[in-house]
Amino acid sequence: MYFVELAVKGLVYGCMYAMMAVGLTLVYGLLRILHIAHAGVFALGAFVAVIVANTTGSLALGFVLATAVSAILGVAIYRFAYQPLLAHPPFVPMIVSIGIFIVLQEGFRMVFGAYGIAFDTNPWYVSTVELAGVRLNQVEVAMVIASIVLLVGFGLFASLTRAGIGWRATVTDPQMATSFGVDPIRVRYLNFIFGSGLAGIAGALVGLLNNYVEPTMGGLVSYKALAIIVLGGLGSVRGTLIASLILGVVESYGTIYLADVFDRDAIGFLFLIVVLMMRPQGLLGRG
Amino acid sequence: MQKSLVAAALAAGLLFAGSAAAQIKIGFHAPQSGPAAADGKSSTIGAEIARDWINEKGGVLGQKIELVIYDDQNKPDQAVPIANKLIGQDKVVATVSGSYSAPTRAAAAVFQTAGIPYFSAYGVHPDITSGGNFAFRGVTLGPPQGKGAAKFIADKWPKAKVSVLTMNNDFGQSIADGFKEEAPKRGLTLIKEYTFGLGERQFGPIIASVKNDNPDVIYAIGYYFVGGPLVAQLRAGGLKQPIVAAQAFDSMKLMEIAKDAAEGVFVVGGMDRQRATPPDLQPFETEFKKRAGYDAEAVAANCYSAVMLMADAIKRAGSTDPKKIREALAATKDFPMLTGKLGYFNSVGEMYMPLEVTVVKGGTFQGAAVIDDTAILAPPGK
Amino acid sequence: MSGYIASLVSVIGINMILALSLNIITGFCGQVSLGHAAFYGIGAYTAAYLSKLGVPLALTLPAGAAMAGLIGIVVGLTSLRVRHDFLAVTTMGIGFVFLGFVRKQKWLGAELGISGIPAPGLDPLVYALLIVAIAGLIIVFCVWTKRSWMGFAFDAVADDEDAARTVGINVPVYKLTAFGIGTALAGLAGGLYVYFARIILPDTFDFVQSIAILTMVVIGGSGSVWGVVASTIALTLLPEVSRAASDYRLLIFGAMLILVMRFSPGGLAAWARRYLARRQAA
Repeated sequence: MYFVELAVKGLVYGCMYAMMAVGLTLVYGLLRILHIAHAGVFALGAFVAVIVANTTGSLALGFVLATAVSAILGVAIYRFAYQPLLAHPPFVPMIVSIGIFIVLQEGFRMVFGAYGIAFDTNPWYVSTVELAGVRLNQVEVAMVIASIVLLVGFGLFASLTRAGIGWRATVTDPQMATSFGVDPIRVRYLNFIFGSGLAGIAGALVGLLNNYVEPTMGGLVSYKALAIIVLGGLGSVRGTLIASLILGVVESYGTIYLADVFDRDAIGFLFLIVVLMMRPQGLLGRG
Repeated sequence: MQKSLVAAALAAGLLFAGSAAAQIKIGFHAPQSGPAAADGKSSTIGAEIARDWINEKGGVLGQKIELVIYDDQNKPDQAVPIANKLIGQDKVVATVSGSYSAPTRAAAAVFQTAGIPYFSAYGVHPDITSGGNFAFRGVTLGPPQGKGAAKFIADKWPKAKVSVLTMNNDFGQSIADGFKEEAPKRGLTLIKEYTFGLGERQFGPIIASVKNDNPDVIYAIGYYFVGGPLVAQLRAGGLKQPIVAAQAFDSMKLMEIAKDAAEGVFVVGGMDRQRATPPDLQPFETEFKKRAGYDAEAVAANCYSAVMLMADAIKRAGSTDPKKIREALAATKDFPMLTGKLGYFNSVGEMYMPLEVTVVKGGTFQGAAVIDDTAILAPPGK
Repeated sequence: MSGYIASLVSVIGINMILALSLNIITGFCGQVSLGHAAFYGIGAYTAAYLSKLGVPLALTLPAGAAMAGLIGIVVGLTSLRVRHDFLAVTTMGIGFVFLGFVRKQKWLGAELGISGIPAPGLDPLVYALLIVAIAGLIIVFCVWTKRSWMGFAFDAVADDEDAARTVGINVPVYKLTAFGIGTALAGLAGGLYVYFARIILPDTFDFVQSIAILTMVVIGGSGSVWGVVASTIALTLLPEVSRAASDYRLLIFGAMLILVMRFSPGGLAAWARRYLARRQAA
């Protein structure tokens, strides 16, 4: 039961990483940019959720606004920081992204205070659900369900709707897609709206799970998400999902068994380096 | 008309020069920007309250205290130039560190060479005081705290099996070391030690493992931002064992995060917020809340008391000569800090103070016990 | 007062060596490295450990540099397998792995780091001058490299690896050379830092530090020696002269990154070149 529980917890964290990483891989697939500022979008979602929930008492409203505000921030970052720099080598927008992340993080600290904020009423996180001897709290369950719903939804969107197919075409071959009448700008906006909205929801869920929203909360998740998208093969959503789940489980076991030798956060990166040296295109990447 | 203007200007100038000269400068540095900015803000406000209250009562030796405050960003390469600046440019007679261990240790070397008394309000690295006799510390070191916890647990739950959860930093490690050394001597069994990073908020694997171990008592060493989620998740995971925590848990934020799950948690080395002694504790809490907008943290209380102690030492020294101030500091006996009574300083500048144990009850920290055991708590001399 | 100036000069000198060393890897040879602080750390830990065993400064500094350079070459091997973004994340990972490893090793002090490091045995002002002298030598070396055959090869690799290969440049050897030199110099900076602060904790060498070094390179102008020198001095001194800059330090940092890369991706050096060209034309 113990080992099963470790694995299940690992999968839950994997879902959390997936929600972050998918947004990153979408941006990379489309624009070849490492969108490090994504961490700031994640944290903003959390802050909006907690402040709205604490002021109005409605968690649902908090989530809705978190998604909306994060999506807007993501699009704004694209429009004002990335779009003008697309002609430059990807190094340049990556550095701008780092700068944006630093500014966002400091901004959160100045506006929301250096000490974090907790949810006043967090009805879910103490009550738990028992599944086959493993205890999961309701927020964890919500996270798994949310990630499944959203990602399956996105998968359907990408294969069945006109806009989705247009998006996929743009990722694979931008010029061909344009010649077929797909508007690349709209595709990019869609990309950032979905990816950033997803990060905002992830931020709100994680804030709820920890019952603590702090300015630096984006950092660690973001670094791991970067490792994940590289591991999964940059640009591959399926690869990212699989890599997220694997990392969650590896970390879960690693925390207990490698604790004397390695920090938990280093485990993921160690795993990444080992895999990359054997398969430079990542687990599922196309060379 | 012109003559009286000149006279007025002269008089004003003299007044200014007069008041500028009649100021005792005490240096103060804290991490006011960057990730540690939260504690930096609390520390600074705590110190400022002390300065203001001292000056309201007329200052020290007839002069007002001026705190020369710098931001060290929690980096030694910032702290060293700041120390040099305080000594050479601002000409302070003493300095209080409202910062973490690394910058404090780096600055201590500079102050030692210059012969300026230096007080670490809450930095716990053992080496801070080992550079010489000008460095003092106003907080109990990690190892005695861990030993005190072992005594507390052994007295309350004899022969208990304990699981230890500790954070990965110097404070966590040193407390754990002290605990692991003392626990077997008191009949406690250490089942296993689990560690986690400061950025950790999800303890699923650790909690599953602790559940598997089935201890009698859980000893958790961490700051409130890991302690809060940890305690909440422990209780949600179905673990009902008593939880004893280390000093780093002490913050009202703990209860904000963990809510009911925090009830009954013991904090060894915590600060009893309800105490009537010393008389300035309650007014301090009120004033801090007014200035900061949140409840007082222990680091703030430590910095407040550090400045108070420094002023007291200057008064006892009867002079602003740094050497005399150092001697007065070293001779301190039974000084009331907000966190407890400072009994004395040993030869390397470490203090003896009984360890207070608090318990979370009704959403606040209440006094539970006091450990006054010189055998355990006596600061190590080197 | 001289103590203050000496300590400030020391910090500038150490930062400059760090920035120049990263410039060789990322600026000259085009290999993105987001984990440079790890080599700073390797040099520091090596020097600190040896110094506590009684080894004199004249030996600990080269030892730190050598250790960092050696491991740097091993890390450089990863750049032979992966490129660009993959390399960026891999090097970031190296930084985290270094940190994660070091903070668990008891013989390296684990979380308590290494403290009680002996004084350099030199007057602070003399030590500061030593650092400046070393930095000066490195500047000369960098300028010389840029004009040398090695510099040309680096440039070719940075520009277009595959094309460089077709003109007969042994790309792997040059990549490893760049990594080796750059990381060794970072290790040297680490050793110098050890005698300055006299305490090292794992967190000093984290990802934030790697980004700080990268910032100095990028704002100065990746690849430009004088640009990097200027930006290092400016970024280190700015918080000292302006109280406002000091309070909002990180915000300004991030803002500068955004503005410089957005409007002048070649950094200050590129801006200076454009300005001078305009002046000449006018």
